[in-house]
Amino acid sequence: MSRDMPSPEAERLHERFNAVWGNPTGWRALTVVNHTTVGLRFLVTGALFFLFGGLLAMLLRTQLALPGRDFMGPDLYNQVFTMHGTVMMFLFAVPMMEGLAVYLIPKMIGARDLVFPRLSALGYFCYLFGGLILVASLFLDIAPKAGWFMYTPLSSAAHTPGPNSDFWLLGITFVEISAVSAGVELVVSILRTRTRGMTLDRMPLYAWYILVMAMMIVVGFPPLILGSILLELERAAGLPFFEVARGGDPLLWQHLFWLFGHPEVYIIFLPAAGIVSTLLPVFAQRPIVGYRWVVLGVLSTGFISFGLWVHHMFTVGIPQLAQAFFSAASMLVAIPTGVQIFAWLATLWLGRPVYHVPMLWLVGFLVIFVAGGLTGVMLALVPFDWQVHDTHFVVAHMHYVLVGGMFFPLMAGLYYWLPHFSGRMPSVRLGRWGFWLVFVGFNLTFLVMHWTGLLGMPRRIYTYPTGLGWDWPNLISSIGSFVMAIGIATVLLDIVLHFRFGLPAKENPWHADTLEWATSLPPTSYNFASLPEVRGRHPLWDDPGLPQSIAHGEHALAVIDHGRRETWGSDPLTGQTREIIHLPGNSWLPVIAAALIAGVCLSLLTRAYGLAALFALTSLGVLLRWSWENGAHPKAAPDAKTQPGDPPLHSRTCDGPGLWGMAVTLLADGALYLSLLFGWFYLWTVAPDWQVPERAGFDQRLLLASAVLLAVATFWQRRLLVRLRQGDARGLAGGLAGVAGLGLLHAVLLLWALLGGELAPRQTAHDAVIAVVLGYSLVHGLLAAVLSALQGWRVRCGYVGVETPYEPLVVEQLWYYNLGVLWIGYFALVLFPPTWGAA
Amino acid sequence: MRPLRSPYNPIHIALGLVIWSLWFVALYGGLSVACRVAPPALSLGMWNWLNLLLGLFSVATVALLLGLARWSWRAASRAGKRSPERFAARLAATVHLVGAVATLVVAVPLLRLPPCV
Amino acid sequence: MAREVTLLWWAMLGFASLVLLGVTALWLYAMHRAPRETSAEQARRINRRWIVGGGLLLPGLSILLLLAFGIPAGHRLLPLPLAEPPLRIEVTGHQWWWEVRYPDGVVTANQLHIPAGRPVDLAVSSADVIHSFWVPRLGGKLDMIPGRRHVLRLQADRPGTYRGQCAEFCGSQHAHMAIDVVAHDEPAFQAWMAARRELRFSPPPGEAGAVFEQRCGRCHRVAGVSEGGRAPDLTDVGSRPSLGAGTLDNRPGALRRWLREHQRLKPGNGMPAHDDVTPETLDRIADWLETLAP
Repeated sequence: MSRDMPSPEAERLHERFNAVWGNPTGWRALTVVNHTTVGLRFLVTGALFFLFGGLLAMLLRTQLALPGRDFMGPDLYNQVFTMHGTVMMFLFAVPMMEGLAVYLIPKMIGARDLVFPRLSALGYFCYLFGGLILVASLFLDIAPKAGWFMYTPLSSAAHTPGPNSDFWLLGITFVEISAVSAGVELVVSILRTRTRGMTLDRMPLYAWYILVMAMMIVVGFPPLILGSILLELERAAGLPFFEVARGGDPLLWQHLFWLFGHPEVYIIFLPAAGIVSTLLPVFAQRPIVGYRWVVLGVLSTGFISFGLWVHHMFTVGIPQLAQAFFSAASMLVAIPTGVQIFAWLATLWLGRPVYHVPMLWLVGFLVIFVAGGLTGVMLALVPFDWQVHDTHFVVAHMHYVLVGGMFFPLMAGLYYWLPHFSGRMPSVRLGRWGFWLVFVGFNLTFLVMHWTGLLGMPRRIYTYPTGLGWDWPNLISSIGSFVMAIGIATVLLDIVLHFRFGLPAKENPWHADTLEWATSLPPTSYNFASLPEVRGRHPLWDDPGLPQSIAHGEHALAVIDHGRRETWGSDPLTGQTREIIHLPGNSWLPVIAAALIAGVCLSLLTRAYGLAALFALTSLGVLLRWSWENGAHPKAAPDAKTQPGDPPLHSRTCDGPGLWGMAVTLLADGALYLSLLFGWFYLWTVAPDWQVPERAGFDQRLLLASAVLLAVATFWQRRLLVRLRQGDARGLAGGLAGVAGLGLLHAVLLLWALLGGELAPRQTAHDAVIAVVLGYSLVHGLLAAVLSALQGWRVRCGYVGVETPYEPLVVEQLWYYNLGVLWIGYFALVLFPPTWGAA
Repeated sequence: MRPLRSPYNPIHIALGLVIWSLWFVALYGGLSVACRVAPPALSLGMWNWLNLLLGLFSVATVALLLGLARWSWRAASRAGKRSPERFAARLAATVHLVGAVATLVVAVPLLRLPPCV
Repeated sequence: MAREVTLLWWAMLGFASLVLLGVTALWLYAMHRAPRETSAEQARRINRRWIVGGGLLLPGLSILLLLAFGIPAGHRLLPLPLAEPPLRIEVTGHQWWWEVRYPDGVVTANQLHIPAGRPVDLAVSSADVIHSFWVPRLGGKLDMIPGRRHVLRLQADRPGTYRGQCAEFCGSQHAHMAIDVVAHDEPAFQAWMAARRELRFSPPPGEAGAVFEQRCGRCHRVAGVSEGGRAPDLTDVGSRPSLGAGTLDNRPGALRRWLREHQRLKPGNGMPAHDDVTPETLDRIADWLETLAP
């Protein structure tokens, strides 16, 4: 309901809710964990990084406007183009889409917040600090300059000494913490916190898109994180994963990078397509045509996009049959996209379209994106790719796909949700001007650029001679880019002005069907004073009175006297409510943790390793404190009283969202470990100069003993927890302490294996990978031991017991994971090499 | 929660394409390893043991996916009309089908190209 | 060989333009046509028509068509064994120049002489970072990767000079890493090879000769004068179309300019600035280098 007509009861309810959910001001604003605020922070920060990246693009186009210019020297140019790509991909596109999802998802699925609010805040601060560190490098003239793809050996210590590449590897990894944590959180929120009655098939399409995007982030980012860690280890510590002379292979980096890099394109595109699928039905005034088809298309896109990465590597000399597989898969992905485009078309065809500024951006999206998709299919054709790969043709194609597929829908979405952010409507006239300037400027820039590429102009050159026919097209592109910049300035002006002059928005101003329009405009920090039950896909079309009845507390969970922040925990398929999830309130922990991790990042950059270790340990301490304030802890939910008829609090069950959060996190972790194993087998098979040292570098019996010990500990803990579920907590605290002790012992054995033998990780890639595999299990083992010890302590404190069995069950999953990983490691390191005729 | 083996467990929605992904990894990995260990002679063209093996493997995968699609589809028709169970099982069936088609399309080059050049 | 790819491109462009125009026109029409009542049954039919026809069949058939033409076309570009093994030339990328080695020991740099009308195999690799060999008018590109030597097959149908340029970003002077490919007819190519094999020089007289041998010769090779191997072979530098891997056209006097200003023309290139050598001596050396030609 709008602010201008509050009814007294609704107002009173609002005050009571606001006392629990409201945002503090001043310095304490740093403690806010609320998804609306965090989402907006993501959006504003992303927009600022976008402007910065755009400015860099203007510099690039100024340099290339005429042949032989020396506006920028090669070194600066290379930093600028590297940073343009990096900023736009990592600091704008992904965080912006995540920010929008963080803002919208709980509102759309009828929840009061995301399921791990402190994690949202941590993610935001990691993003902010990481982004600032990266951008600062440009002002210090030590920005990354080996391209946003950081191909080694160019990015290695030998060819790029100085901290340039380190900024990229460390900064991006830091920023990715944010991406992955948002990914985990969105997956669990969508699956587990939908309001009563929102079955899987009544979920708004946007939630499907975000679900798939978030899963893709969870699986797709870890390969790059691993690659970055390995490359940084090579640069800083001399572990030669990618160096041919010591048995590494630079192509391994390309595989890891594109294993992430191609899904990344769809991680950006899918949420944008989700915006289209949300807006079009609203403006066509009818439900989307082919809901199932679209869901199927989104799922297929998500998976198939993982089978395309080698199409970025068609020119590295991979067997043609393998190239053909990837070529076919690359073209295949056009089909689910085609299905979506025609579903939108059919929706328009059958609907009664009305016109608003967002529709303009949607039409722009269609034209540009389809063009980009078509050139994409061409590029998937291997012989054509051999011709235009790494030319301006690809630059043009990529901008058609990304700007068309991400920026245009994003602008449509921004205009559409502006009344939601501000409570005011945007101006039509300025909005139109902005759109047309951007549209014309964009096509002027990039349509011509296809031609430049076909004329043979490679990418990433800071200057070019005259007389090759490249002069005119480049000049036109540069002019176009400035037209586009003016357009973006116009849009920006429109948005700024609307906060001052926009007309106040009416309730549900676009007559939308999704629940986010049932909040007040702008929304309160708890979204809904009561959580409605949903009976169809279009709750607001079915019951236009929802905003009022929600604000009057006529639906579920309208009681707030207990002082807990509550939302539904529901069944993933049927949307039946199973428990009440109580959420943590505002906290300093996320910002402190992020600042400490930033400290780790900065000390690694300055090679102050002692300091880095100190920061790392302190941030671990903070994170453990964070995990301490959960469940029955006085700061979380000390008493478990709920209303009669309501389900129990999640911390009093065996199936809270934390279990799901842990499972999804372990999925990401597993993707990282699999990438590591991929690296191991890859190097064995194809490294040009693979070397296996004469003597085994570590004592294999130690590894076996450690794995056996871990198995004993894990199954001991399992027995304890089975009994706990059955209501028997006798000897639990001591048992958990014993499990932790065994875990510690197994870690010590691993450390012994790692350091006690003759492992020479600086000599060969072979030993370097072994060291990382052992180190991985060591770190995980230590973490699991600490966590179980803490659980034992919680039993002593009375936070864990028969009534509150939940948290040790979350930790248990980590043990199973570690056990699997260690045994797989044993097979890969000890049992596999002899089968390969190792010698 | 439903047990994993229930056709109405939503985990099956993704299964078809997970199988496809595993098949894809095995196909690419198997090709790379085989070309390293024992590359078939180029003069054989596409009629060599490796293409044949990968082809059989692909056909088996397609058969598995089609079988699972049928299993899900039957379960869907047993579920109540307009129930979320029916939706999930039908979606799973179509995803299995998509996986089968994707397997076929990606495997088509096996019919044209020798493996290791 | 690039011809087949060109043909493929025009066909794809035509088809893609049609699809783009068609989809856009349909979309605009759908937005502007007068809304009319449709029954649920009609809606379902229309829906199926659009999604199955446009979403499945259109892209599906296009893909099969593309693969049917594309895979064989790609196959024909591969360096498959021929009845008569083609001339095999080793090309190695360096930051930022090209080293070219012929089978009988002839070495040159930043230019590639090939016979026209028959296929040539280029075995490409790199000495430092990843480069990519690409002559747009002759065919596709192939990355030059340290530790690997891949083979790219090219054929120039007609004699002439073709410009090539490194296509994989390779550091600060990636922009100045071009190669001139000169295709000769068969007799001219044989003549060039013969002349090039015989080429021997003696150092320039006086100060210039001493400076060249003590400094330039450490890295550069000139047959008969010096044996340096870290920088481009200069035995035929006077006859090359360009200097500094495409930085400067090799007109009379260009070498003088290059020796004096090379760090300004191509900042960061591997040759040290030689400000301590007198300009006169540099000019002497440059003039002598200009005479190095078959």
